[in-house]
Amino acid sequence: MDLFANLAHGFAVAFSPINLLMCLIGALVGTLVGVLPGIGTIATVAMLLPITFGLPPVGALIMLAGIYYGAQYGGSTTSILVNIPGEATSVVTALDGHQMAKQGRAGPALAIAAIGSFFAGCVATVLIAVLGAPLTKLALAFGPAEYFSLMVLGLIFAVVLAKGSVLKAIAMIVFGLLLSMVGSDIETGASRMAFNIPELADGLGFATVAMGVFGFAEIIRNLDHGAEMSRDLVQQKITGLMPTRKDLIDSAPAIGRGTVLGSILGILPGGGAVIASFAAYTLEKKLAKNPSRFGRGAIEGVAAPESANNAAAQTSFIPLLTLGIPPNAVMALMVGAMTIHGIVPGPQVMQKQPDLVWGMIASMWIGNLMLIIINLPLVGIWVRLLRVPYRLMFPSIVIFCAIGIYSVNNAPVDVILAGVFGLVGYWLIKHDFEPAPLLLGMVLGPLMEENLRRALLISRGDWSVFLSRPLSAVLLAIAAGLLVLAVLPSLRAKRDEVFTESEG
Amino acid sequence: MADTMGHTASATDNMTRNTSVALGIVLLGLAPQIFELVWSLGTLVGLGAGRGPLQVVTAHLTALVTSVPSLIAVLAAVPGMILSYFSPGSAAAAAKSTLSSDELLALIYSYPLFAVAILTLFVRIRAPQDYIGGVVLMAVALFALWASSDLQGMHGFSFGAGTAPRMFGVLLVALSASIALTGLLHEGEGLSHYSWRGPLFVSAAIIFFALAIRPLGLVVTAFSSFLIAAIGSHETTWLEAVIVGACLTLGCAILFPYILGLPMPMFPRFLIQ
Repeated sequence: MDLFANLAHGFAVAFSPINLLMCLIGALVGTLVGVLPGIGTIATVAMLLPITFGLPPVGALIMLAGIYYGAQYGGSTTSILVNIPGEATSVVTALDGHQMAKQGRAGPALAIAAIGSFFAGCVATVLIAVLGAPLTKLALAFGPAEYFSLMVLGLIFAVVLAKGSVLKAIAMIVFGLLLSMVGSDIETGASRMAFNIPELADGLGFATVAMGVFGFAEIIRNLDHGAEMSRDLVQQKITGLMPTRKDLIDSAPAIGRGTVLGSILGILPGGGAVIASFAAYTLEKKLAKNPSRFGRGAIEGVAAPESANNAAAQTSFIPLLTLGIPPNAVMALMVGAMTIHGIVPGPQVMQKQPDLVWGMIASMWIGNLMLIIINLPLVGIWVRLLRVPYRLMFPSIVIFCAIGIYSVNNAPVDVILAGVFGLVGYWLIKHDFEPAPLLLGMVLGPLMEENLRRALLISRGDWSVFLSRPLSAVLLAIAAGLLVLAVLPSLRAKRDEVFTESEG
Repeated sequence: MADTMGHTASATDNMTRNTSVALGIVLLGLAPQIFELVWSLGTLVGLGAGRGPLQVVTAHLTALVTSVPSLIAVLAAVPGMILSYFSPGSAAAAAKSTLSSDELLALIYSYPLFAVAILTLFVRIRAPQDYIGGVVLMAVALFALWASSDLQGMHGFSFGAGTAPRMFGVLLVALSASIALTGLLHEGEGLSHYSWRGPLFVSAAIIFFALAIRPLGLVVTAFSSFLIAAIGSHETTWLEAVIVGACLTLGCAILFPYILGLPMPMFPRFLIQ
C-alpha cells in the first residue's frame, strides 16, 4: 500500500499552512488571469515565475500548478457568462455555455462546469499517483535512443494536434530547435550563434521567448482589431446555482467520458488541455442522439469539455514528473521553475524529492476543492472585472510583463529580446504560423540534442540504433504512423472540422 | 482596345507586385550587411567597438564580388558535394580556410536569397501569405547556417558543436522551401493587414523600459512606459491613463520590491546620490 502511504505523505505536506496559502493564492491568481481575456496561461505562468523565486520549492511549484488549473477554471466562467473564452481551452465551452446563460441557466452551467472540473481533477490526481511509480520504473529502462525517439513522438503529436498546416507546424518546431541552440554548447562549451553578445552566451531564456511570443505578440495582435471588444454581458442576476436532477443525470456520462478522454490526451506528449476540450466536445456531439441540440445550450456541451480540459491539465504533469519531458508549453515553463529551484525533473525526482512530488499531487486535489468552494460565490466579482476596458488593461499587462522579465535575471537585454520576440510572434500570427510548437521545440531542443549525441556516441555513429532498439523503434513507428495519418486527406478533413466547429 | 488595355494593366499590376516582392527579398538578402552598417554608425560617435561604416561597406562589397568564383565552384560541385558532405554548411566549412566570414555570409545567405528573388519574378504567387512566410523562414534558416558555419562539425562519429545546428538548419531550409512552394501551387490567403500603431508604441514602451530601468528606477520607468504603451490604442484618454498608470506604478512599487523581495532600483539614481 505504497500508494496510500505516499498520498498520505503528500496530504501532510500540502496541508501545512504555508502550502495551503500558496495553493489558495495560486488558484485565485490563476482564476483571475483565466477570467481576463487577452492574456493566456503560458504568458501568466511566465509572468509570475519570478514571484515564486523567494518561496521554498514545494510552495513555489504548488502555486504555479494552482495558477495553471485555476486558469482553466476561470476561462470557463467568462466563456459561459460573456461568451469571451479567457483561455483557448474554454473556447468550446462558450458554444453551449453561453447559450445556457442566455436562457437564464447560467447558474447550472457554471455549477456543472465546476462539478465536472472537480470530478476530473479528483480522477486525474489519483491517476498521477497510480501511474507515477510504474512510469518512473519504465523511465529507468530508457536509454538515450529511447528518449530521443520519445521526444520525436511528442513533437509529432504536437504537430498532428496543432491546427492548420502540418508543414508549418513542423517548421515551427525546427525553428524552436534552432533557437534552443543559441548560446554555449553543453559538451564542448563552444559559443554558438551568439555573435559575441555576452547576454546570449547563456542562451535565450525561454521565459523571455514565451513572454514575447505569447504575451507581447498577443497584445499587439489584439490592438489590431481595435481595443474595444464587444462584450455582451449577461446582465441579469445569476440565480439558482444548483443544477436540476435532470441536468445532473444528463451530464454525468459526459463528465465521465470527458475525464477519460482528457486524462489520456493529457498524458500523451504534445497533447494538453486545448485539444482535450475540442476532442471531448466532438465526441459528445457524435454520441448524442440528437446532435442538433449542441450549440443551443446542451449541458453535455459544457460538462464534457470542462472535465476534459481539467483532467488533461493535471495528467500532463505525469510525463514531466516521471520522464522529465514537458508535454506542452506550460509544463515547459514548469521545468524552468524547477530548474531555478535546483530540481532536475526526471525519474529521480520521485525518489529524491517525495515531499515535492506528492505534495504537489495532493495540493491539486485541495486546489480543485478550493476552486469549487471559493469561486461560485465570487462569480459576480469576476464578471465585474471584465468591464475593465482593454485600453487600460493592455498597458498594465505590458508593464507587468516587462517587470517580470527584468526580474528573472535583472537584465535589461532580456526585456528587449522579449520585445523582439513579440514582433516575431506578431509576424508569425500574421503568416498563420502557430507559436506553441515553436516553444515546445525550443524546450525540447537541448534534451533532444544531448540524447541524440549520446545515443550516437554509444552506438559508435551507427544511426540504425534508433530502429534496432525495440522500444525506440516502436516509438518512432508510432510517430511515423501519426504523421502519415495527419497528412492523409480524409483525416485532415476531419481534423479541420474539429477546429472550424469552434469558430462557427 | 479597352479589353487589351485592361489585360495589360492587370498583367503589369501583377508584374509590379512580383517586382516589389522580389525587391523585398533582395533587401532581406542584404539585411545582415545593412544591419551591421547601421550598427557601425555608432562607432562614429564613439559608441561600441567594431568596424567603421566605410570598412563595413567595402568589406561586404568585396566579399560579394570575391565570393562569386567560389559560388560558381560550389554550383559546379553540387552533385559531388551532396554525396560527400552532410550539408552545405559543412561544405562551406570545408572551404572555410580560403573564405572570410563576410564571403561566407554572401555565399550561404545572400546569394541563395538573390536566387529566390530572381525566381519570384517568373512565377505566379497564389498564396502570398505562405510564399512570403516560407521565404522569410528560409532566410532565418540560412542565416543560422551561416552563424554556425564557424563551429566544428562531426569528428569521427561524435557530434561537434556545429553538427546539430547545421542539421536543423538544413531541415528548416527544406521545410520553409516547401512552404513557399505550396504558396505557389495552391490558392491561399493574401497578406494580412499590418497596423503600425500598436506594434510601434508597445515596442517603444518595452525599449524605454529596458533602457530606463537601471538609471531611472522602477517608479519613473513603469509610469512612463505605461503612458507610452497607452498611445498604442486610439481610444486612450489621457486623464484616465494617467490615473490608472499612477495606481499601477504604486501597486508594482509595493508588490515587487517589498512583498516579493526582488531587488530593484526604485528611484532615479541622481536623486538618491
